[in-house]
Amino acid sequence: MRAETTLQDIIGLEHTKLGFFQELRLSIEALRQAHAESEQRRREISTILDGITDVMMVLSDTLRIIAVNHVFHETTGVSAPEGVCCHRIFRNRDTPCPDCPALRALNTGAVCRETAIFRLNGDNRQFEIVASPLTAYDASAPRVLVFKRDVTAEKELQAKYLQAEKMATVGMLAAGVAHEINNPLTSISGFTEGLRRTLRRCEERLPAEIYAGVAEDLDTIRDECKRCQDIVRALLTFSRPQFSCVSVLPLSSLVRDVLKISHSLLHRPENRNTRLELDLAPGDGPATLGDEGHLKQVLLNLLANALDATAAGNGMEHAPGYTPTVVIRTWAEGDGVYLSVSDNGCGMDAENVGKLFEPFFTTKKAGRGIGVGLSTCYSIVRAHGGEISVRSDPGQGSCFTVRLPALTEGNHV
Amino acid sequence: MPITKYALPDIIFGPGTFARMPLCARQLGAQRVLLVSDPGVERAGWVEQATDLLRADGLEWVYYNECVSNPRDTAVARGAEVYREERADVIVALGGGSPIDTAKGIAALVGNGGRIQDYEGANKLRKPLPPLLCLPTTAGSGSDISQFCIITDRKRRMKMSIISRTLTPNISIVDPLLTHTCDARLLLASAIDALAHAVESYLSVLSSPFTEGQALESVDRIMRFLPAAVQDKKPEALERLSIASTQAGMSFSNAGLGVGHSLAHTLGGIYDVGHGAVHSALLPVVMEYNMRDCLEKMAGIGRCIMGGELSNAEDTARGGIEYLRNFFTRLGAPVRLSRVLPDDTGLPAVSVGALQDVCTLTNPRTPHAGELLALCREAW
Repeated sequence: MRAETTLQDIIGLEHTKLGFFQELRLSIEALRQAHAESEQRRREISTILDGITDVMMVLSDTLRIIAVNHVFHETTGVSAPEGVCCHRIFRNRDTPCPDCPALRALNTGAVCRETAIFRLNGDNRQFEIVASPLTAYDASAPRVLVFKRDVTAEKELQAKYLQAEKMATVGMLAAGVAHEINNPLTSISGFTEGLRRTLRRCEERLPAEIYAGVAEDLDTIRDECKRCQDIVRALLTFSRPQFSCVSVLPLSSLVRDVLKISHSLLHRPENRNTRLELDLAPGDGPATLGDEGHLKQVLLNLLANALDATAAGNGMEHAPGYTPTVVIRTWAEGDGVYLSVSDNGCGMDAENVGKLFEPFFTTKKAGRGIGVGLSTCYSIVRAHGGEISVRSDPGQGSCFTVRLPALTEGNHV
Repeated sequence: MPITKYALPDIIFGPGTFARMPLCARQLGAQRVLLVSDPGVERAGWVEQATDLLRADGLEWVYYNECVSNPRDTAVARGAEVYREERADVIVALGGGSPIDTAKGIAALVGNGGRIQDYEGANKLRKPLPPLLCLPTTAGSGSDISQFCIITDRKRRMKMSIISRTLTPNISIVDPLLTHTCDARLLLASAIDALAHAVESYLSVLSSPFTEGQALESVDRIMRFLPAAVQDKKPEALERLSIASTQAGMSFSNAGLGVGHSLAHTLGGIYDVGHGAVHSALLPVVMEYNMRDCLEKMAGIGRCIMGGELSNAEDTARGGIEYLRNFFTRLGAPVRLSRVLPDDTGLPAVSVGALQDVCTLTNPRTPHAGELLALCREAW
């Protein structure tokens, strides 16, 4: 150590008597200690806050954003929201939204809850909002803590679950009713045949016009009975669809086959102006495994609904320049194959969309449908391990999408 | 001319300035003073006077007196502990070189932590020290003025030189009246230490016009007033010795010393002999050794010692050395190491240790260990 010392070290040009401030030194030590402690606390709290998966905001009494968490940035895509009003960011409004829970919380001093839908990044997202007044702050500058939990996926799942449950119940009821009705129908049909045979034996004894009239009535009874039995059979099919024949089904060729047999449908007078567009996966398209007849029935049903929705006079008059259009698409995505039928027709409101797959529900005028089409489609698609979903806006049109499992090595028979 | 640096504490000089101690401490921010002294100073009554002054001024104090001649690392560490535990602020050192160096060591540890060994060498202290106020009770150590702090490492049996600009005390109150309680032996040893400071710093390779004047004046005053001071403690003579000691401190703090002090430090470490007692034997021998490399300056000192000059520079230089030996003998100071040390078995170790001492660096002639051993033998 001493060996390193030089004459320059002894002269010590760059060294001088250093000032010493006892109080300052002690308070700096105390401050450093306190700083280390508060930094540690800050890190702990920050770790907890970062663990929160809801959007979190602290708002001033004028609903200006004071602080947000990282989920806010990720959800809204806004990087520096401080100072901007909450309603500007979420609703692009100049004034607070009606029923704002943050304002209610500020006014009442109580925790307020609300459910709301915000349009974020082009998607409608449903949020559960909890607003808690922050009483620890200065009373002259009240603040409110707002949590927004994205419950879109939850709600979708909940809706699907409710729907499935309802469908299962309705299916059981329908099967029961169908069974109960089937017996009297068989009796009616049988006795009608009996009457018909009796009538034939009495043909010579009856005047010709009476015989003909009764025979026609009996035929009508028998035919109507047959129609009832068909409906009942459809109901039974709905409640427990049975596969008659499972084969490899390429979706694009399935669509082309269906179009061949729906000529009469497409050329009805009310559909003459409707343009049909095809956006099909090339070649035969992505394949799934299923019952050809049943899946064709699904497509036919969706197509018929789309044509009905775009037909003039069905609750809407065609505006000038409006071209009724139906688009059929097929594509593959992930482990699924997709078939969609969309139209730019009358569309449906949310209430109707919710009931869409229930048996006997129809928006069509009396006589145009019995309301088992979509519910049958639903159970067929479910039986194939797929899903059917619908997006619809009143006046904008609807889009029905069927997702089926893609054909893979594993499920190939 | 090389760049030089000259730094000093505030120096308050004059009979009765002791009474200004509390005021000066307050100026440095005192509320609770660490008073460092030793039993000798206590016996002289100065510690009581100091605490009376502090009490009268309403200042609190903590007293620390574990100081011995050749102050030790352990005493320094213990003092720093007391300072921290008692939450003292300004350190007031009252006494000779030992209490003042102990106080400096305490200040170094309080401000920088660690062990005093960590700061051996030049300017190793990087953090500020608590304010230091010194009141020398001897006219000799110059520690109240200097940036030097010499502490004995008990384990290694050697003295460490801690040199740092920040070790310079803030204020030195030099009250000549405080030296009145010294006995003749202490007055003599202290003054000869001061004389060695003046001579060695004058010859140092770092001496400058700012230090050389102080050094020569110091030599002149000691030669003229030491006999009277030792014989009948004439106040006027004691005052001049205080001035001379302060001047020697001004000089050596900035210019450094030489091999005389290297040897004295090492002897103190190995034999635990009083620092002042070895200089009367070492100084003439060291001056003869250095003469080859700084004849003109040695002649200057010779003139100053004798109050006149001989036919040429070498004669004047030699004349001065001879005059000095006789001067020491006349006053009863030992001119032979054999009179001070119990045996000469430690001398080889002394010469090796002295070669490592920081003071060797500024000596005008660069020695090797054999030469230093020869010096010791010559002075034996």
